[in-house]
Amino acid sequence: MSWLNSLVAGIRSLFSRHRIERELDEELDLFQEQAAEHHERTGMTPEEARRAARVAVGSRNSVKQKVWASRWESVVDNLCKDARLGSRSLLRTPGFTAIAVMSLALGIGANTAIFTLLNAVMLRPLPVEEPRQLVLFGDGSWVGSMDGMPNRNWRLFSYPFYRAFSAQTHAFSGVTAVSSIQMGGHLAASGGAPEQVHIDVVSGSYFSVLGVPPALGRTIDEADDRTAGAGAVAVASYAWFERHFGGNPAALGATIHVQGHNYTIVGVAEPGFAGLDPSSPADMWIPLSMEKEISPGWNGLEDKDFQSLYLVGRLKPGVTTALATTSTNLLFRQIIRGEYLGDHPSEHDLAQLEKANIELTSAAGGLPGLRLKLSTPIFVLMGIVVLVLLIACVNIANMLLARGVARSREIAVRQALGATRARIMAQLLTESTLLALGGAAFGVLVAWGSGRLLAAYLSHGVNEQIPEYLAPDVRVLVFTVAVTGFTALLFGMLPAVRAARLELTPVLKEGRGGSQANARGAVSRGLIVGQIAISILLLVAAGIFLRSLVNLNRVNLGFEPKHAMVFGLDEQGANLPVDSRLTQLHQEIERSVQALPGVEAASFSMFTFNEGEWSDSVMMEGVPRTPQNDSDVHYNVVGSQYLKTFGIPLVSGRNFSDQDTANSPHVALVNETMARTFFPNGSPIGHHFCLCDGSAAHSQTGPFDIEIVGVVRDAHYEGVGEHQHMAAYFPYAQHAQYFYNFVVRSNVSPAALLPAVRRVFAQANPQVLVSTVVPLTEMVDDSIQTQRLIGLLSAFFAALAVFLVAIGVYGLISYSVARRTSEMGIRVALGAPARALVWLVVRESLVLLAAGLAVGLPVALLTAQSLSQFLKAILFEVTAMDPMAFALAVAVACVMTLCAAFLPARRAASVNPVDALRCE
Amino acid sequence: MAAQPNPDNPAGSSDLVQGTLEMLILKTLALEAMHGYGVALRIEQISKGVFRVNAGSLLPALSRMERAGHVKTEWRATESNRRAKYYQLTAKGRRALAFETEQWQRQIAAIARILEA
Repeated sequence: MSWLNSLVAGIRSLFSRHRIERELDEELDLFQEQAAEHHERTGMTPEEARRAARVAVGSRNSVKQKVWASRWESVVDNLCKDARLGSRSLLRTPGFTAIAVMSLALGIGANTAIFTLLNAVMLRPLPVEEPRQLVLFGDGSWVGSMDGMPNRNWRLFSYPFYRAFSAQTHAFSGVTAVSSIQMGGHLAASGGAPEQVHIDVVSGSYFSVLGVPPALGRTIDEADDRTAGAGAVAVASYAWFERHFGGNPAALGATIHVQGHNYTIVGVAEPGFAGLDPSSPADMWIPLSMEKEISPGWNGLEDKDFQSLYLVGRLKPGVTTALATTSTNLLFRQIIRGEYLGDHPSEHDLAQLEKANIELTSAAGGLPGLRLKLSTPIFVLMGIVVLVLLIACVNIANMLLARGVARSREIAVRQALGATRARIMAQLLTESTLLALGGAAFGVLVAWGSGRLLAAYLSHGVNEQIPEYLAPDVRVLVFTVAVTGFTALLFGMLPAVRAARLELTPVLKEGRGGSQANARGAVSRGLIVGQIAISILLLVAAGIFLRSLVNLNRVNLGFEPKHAMVFGLDEQGANLPVDSRLTQLHQEIERSVQALPGVEAASFSMFTFNEGEWSDSVMMEGVPRTPQNDSDVHYNVVGSQYLKTFGIPLVSGRNFSDQDTANSPHVALVNETMARTFFPNGSPIGHHFCLCDGSAAHSQTGPFDIEIVGVVRDAHYEGVGEHQHMAAYFPYAQHAQYFYNFVVRSNVSPAALLPAVRRVFAQANPQVLVSTVVPLTEMVDDSIQTQRLIGLLSAFFAALAVFLVAIGVYGLISYSVARRTSEMGIRVALGAPARALVWLVVRESLVLLAAGLAVGLPVALLTAQSLSQFLKAILFEVTAMDPMAFALAVAVACVMTLCAAFLPARRAASVNPVDALRCE
Repeated sequence: MAAQPNPDNPAGSSDLVQGTLEMLILKTLALEAMHGYGVALRIEQISKGVFRVNAGSLLPALSRMERAGHVKTEWRATESNRRAKYYQLTAKGRRALAFETEQWQRQIAAIARILEA
């Protein structure tokens, strides 16, 4: 308890410093008086007695100081004094302070912003019970549905497998399944306007396994997930509940209408929980028993071959991931052998199963979707901003060193007056901390502003919604505070140590600190060389990312995105049977839109660009299977105007026509790559193929029912950077289906066209909704958003680094020119031409540059080499070792150094010998 | 903290053994409450002038002891009717004195045994 008393007493005395001072004075007065009286009594003269008493008391100030220093609050007091002193001295040099605070703000702000992203994407655990116990089956890198048995890691699972597995497992206390595709539907609630919702379709065990309690009502349970089609209930996320119902509990029991079916809201999940994927927050959960109703006609509840689910298990306490992996794979094989392969499995299937397995990955942070996509870019950006902060620190350290030289007299005087080295270092470090704190304060503002921007940029194409998840948390706060403290030490330590190690006498005598200045020169030079080296690293990084971006922009997509726009549809409400009636509706709409003024062509399309893929291998009649033609063909189902709408030229054969109907022979267009792969020496037109599995298990004589009627130019499909795939296009007249995309080529602006297109749809069928319109160019741009962001940010930070280093070089060179003014004067007096003086200065900067390159280039080469594998994922047609990027970096560094040396060199050249010599 | 030797009487005074000042102050205050100079004078008198404690050592020591809760202070009038800060031993101070005295005697005894061996 005594420390508590001491704390209270200390705080009290901090606030009553004056009273304490007064009391001490009084006590000292009395001490001295009584000492004098005592001495007088022992026979001294009054004069002698007073003198002796003064001796016994000693220096009053020193006594007071000692009393004060004997208490802990003196440390706080000193700190406050140092802070006051420091801020005063910083305010005396506003230019320096502004530059330092600004560069720190950019450095700390950039670090905080990127760390916020890193934290949100990679570190933050899900807001569920014991997130560390959760594991995902597979790595979550596949989305969609697949059939057949992969002979590698399994990532998607069927509903029957989920049922069998969760009934038999011993390693998990519970397993839950969630559809790998988030359903995005339009929902109408109690007569309101339709709005877009994101729905996760989940197993009955979902909420109990995750340990997410309801905030209102109940969550989905096993009973909801027991019978197909019987679980028409929905649980809303708290955020959506607030948004949509304003937090009114009357929401419970409300009926909502999604994709032509009604669901009753039975509960609201705990606040903060938005599903397993932080990057695609769910508004609503619906049980898997409703899969057929909520999805585009999927029916996987009984189908062992329809694999579209992620499985997430909760490890039993004490079960390690390794143990669970063994147990999971045993059970996996057992289930597949027992229930999938039948009584007499073929050799082929057994061999496939031998290679298959399940890898468990931690799901503590949720599904790794965003992590897989963004971890490399985020690590790259983190590395870049750390280097920028380092450069900023070195710059400030250098400026502080220069300041230290200028202040050496002040410091010498303070030492002479009795300040200890520790006190002086403490004072200088306090000053650095003040700078860092100022930088951090502005930095947090920078981070706040840029973080949202970054998030919007990076998560574009993943989901239009910025995850609420990105709000900074304790971890971000700790990071920022740590970075601030670390920076203050980093740039403040060296100058403080040097200042405190001052040799007193020469400084006081000399007044200009010659020896110090020389020493400062060596250290400063070292720092500048380091800065140049780091800037090389940043310049090389910027170089390769920009080159990659340029390459991406140069890619020939094979189609013409300009003047094409994609309308997003929700046709489920139309409630038409999927047959010729739907086809007629589509043809009618296409015709009406094409008749609109300014419209060149219009077509429905299953996929447009960067929307995923539907692919499988095909069998061509009369062509033996080879490793080349065994690879996947990308399919698309389109209207007859698709080629015109997308601007893809027909190379040979014919386009789809009105004669291609559901009852006529099936036809397809193939791209050049597919034509070349199957028919290297001839035309594919007139040949037949089938969408049948070509594996050994199946016969080679399938019904080759699709005729190739035309060949079209290769066009990209999945993304800008994809390798060219084989592709086949089918007419929707022969493949009736609901569409999500409607593409129009027109010179009218999308916004102006939207009402007209909406009218056409409404006239054709009022239940078909046109929700969005996006220019195709924007979709192409979005698909390389991440690469663009890295390219632009790395270029921005490299430019910032170059600027900071240029300031550093300029400062050092001008300082050295100023110190050598008299030498220059003598040289001029002896007849040296201006050229020689300029060379003198430029040579100094070139030495720095050479040293910087000598350090920076090998470091950059080694870094690029060791990271090349890692960077491959985000580089396009350029390697990390790109010679062009290195050459550019060196060139920029040279220009930067020479520019920085230019002004001081000119000053040197114009030295007037008389002035220069007189000032000595 | 050791007291400084008295420059006026270099032969007669001596440095305090490190760390003993607070024990001596505790002992002095054990009899009655005193003001600062009273403590200094009493130590000097009882030690027959061997130890002289000046204000620069005494006041910080008293401040430390006050913070540690060994003494408490009170402003009251002296015999000559001056206002003075009086230091008074607390129960905790008494326990500290007993403990330190015992420690000190054990050390002295040990040192004596070593010197006599």
